[in-house]
Amino acid sequence: MRKSFLGLVAIASLGATGLAALAAWPVGVPTSSRLSELSGNVAQGAYLARASGCIACHTNIEGGGAPLAGGVALETPFGTLYSPNLTTDPEHGLGDWKIEDFARAVRQGLSPEGQPYYPAFTYPFYQNFTDQQIADLWAAFQTVPAVAEQSVEPDMPFPFNQRATLKVWRALYLDPPRTDPVPDADPVWNRGKELVEGATHCGACHTGRTFLGGRDYENQHFKGSDMLPGGGKAPAIDTGTLVSRGWDIDNLAYALRTGITPSGDAFGNAMGEVVLYGTKFLGDDDLTAIATYLLDEHG
Amino acid sequence: MKLSKIVIVIAFAGTSGAVLAHSGATGVVKERMDGMSALEKSVKAITPIMRGKDDYDADKVRAFAEDVATHSGEAMTRLFPAGSGGMPSEAKDAVWSDWEEFASLAEDLHRLSEGLGMAADNGIGGVSGAGSASMMGTDTMMGGQTGMMGDASPGAMIGFEELAEMPADAVFTMIAQTCSACHTKYRAESK
Repeated sequence: MRKSFLGLVAIASLGATGLAALAAWPVGVPTSSRLSELSGNVAQGAYLARASGCIACHTNIEGGGAPLAGGVALETPFGTLYSPNLTTDPEHGLGDWKIEDFARAVRQGLSPEGQPYYPAFTYPFYQNFTDQQIADLWAAFQTVPAVAEQSVEPDMPFPFNQRATLKVWRALYLDPPRTDPVPDADPVWNRGKELVEGATHCGACHTGRTFLGGRDYENQHFKGSDMLPGGGKAPAIDTGTLVSRGWDIDNLAYALRTGITPSGDAFGNAMGEVVLYGTKFLGDDDLTAIATYLLDEHG
Repeated sequence: MKLSKIVIVIAFAGTSGAVLAHSGATGVVKERMDGMSALEKSVKAITPIMRGKDDYDADKVRAFAEDVATHSGEAMTRLFPAGSGGMPSEAKDAVWSDWEEFASLAEDLHRLSEGLGMAADNGIGGVSGAGSASMMGTDTMMGGQTGMMGDASPGAMIGFEELAEMPADAVFTMIAQTCSACHTKYRAESK
């Protein structure tokens, strides 16, 4: 709460001088110099891209758009964003990017020009991706056919149309993901932690938010959210809630493969997309790991 | 005493969503909601068999396939006449604005249910990594012929001969994913 208040004060007090100062505020860190020496594995990269939701979010499924050509509208409380074109088109996609640009975008949420991305892009969860994972993803993205479709510019009112203001958001909310393994914990549980708190970014939708759209991990971790883009809601998935609704490790892993819930219903809406374009492609061991972590107390 | 209260709360939590969401519906809207609820029960009942948790029973699988067949394809789409959206229906407007695809998913479900009937004697073979196999087998992001990238239906491209050869649980998984594909596009989020 205090963080949000500070953020509001910071944004409210932005005059022209403030914006200029924000624009000059450096963000990001240099990328690893060994990235271009790594050889990426396409299959591993495609697997990670599925797990991470790249395809679900950057493909306009409802509009019948080409894979990864973007164009999905996200109506946030601050304005409307459109997922950009991630195909190999040199003009509209990533065709003229270098792997270092890609690494910075995915792990740091910064464009090749150094501008912060809106946090609708779930890069905060990808911060701990290793250099090898970045190389794998990059190799996989090279296989995507180019689509010459222009990315749609964000439709945000002032001051949110000033990308420099996102530096305030970053300062307040850009914490490292909680993917680090717990020493001596079950390896399956640790793998689940790595996926849930990282690539599969369950908490992106299922964690409550502050009124500035930051995720409130202190009090609202996995407690659900009704502040999602487009007025969407995500139910609580904390362990107690999952258990009370009939979930266990086995039926949750199965649901992430098939969409079938314990009552015999089938997921729809955003969770349907998560399964159909993401988790159904994961191996049984990873689905079990995700469910194991979610169904255990994890703070 | 305390335990029974918990049981009641859990039982209520499990059913209240559907009961509340379906209350107040009449006519064709009620009819299709009842059909969906019937399918939900059938899926719940057959899932343990498809997962190898209960003994395999080809007759039960055939009965399930029959049940899905009677609630899919034309039998499903005729329950969605134009103008039958809006409260208390949970159908999104996209059902009618995107009718062709809606109808095609309903038809896929019907075809897969017939395929499951043919595959019932095959037993289950474990659907371990069903999706990932097809993605990992190809060197692109596009995931081969799973229909992921444009076609929402997981089983859209598979013909009867192939279905009849598959383990029953593999066909069942495609049925489940087809339900999910349709709910993803055409069912409103529960309130």
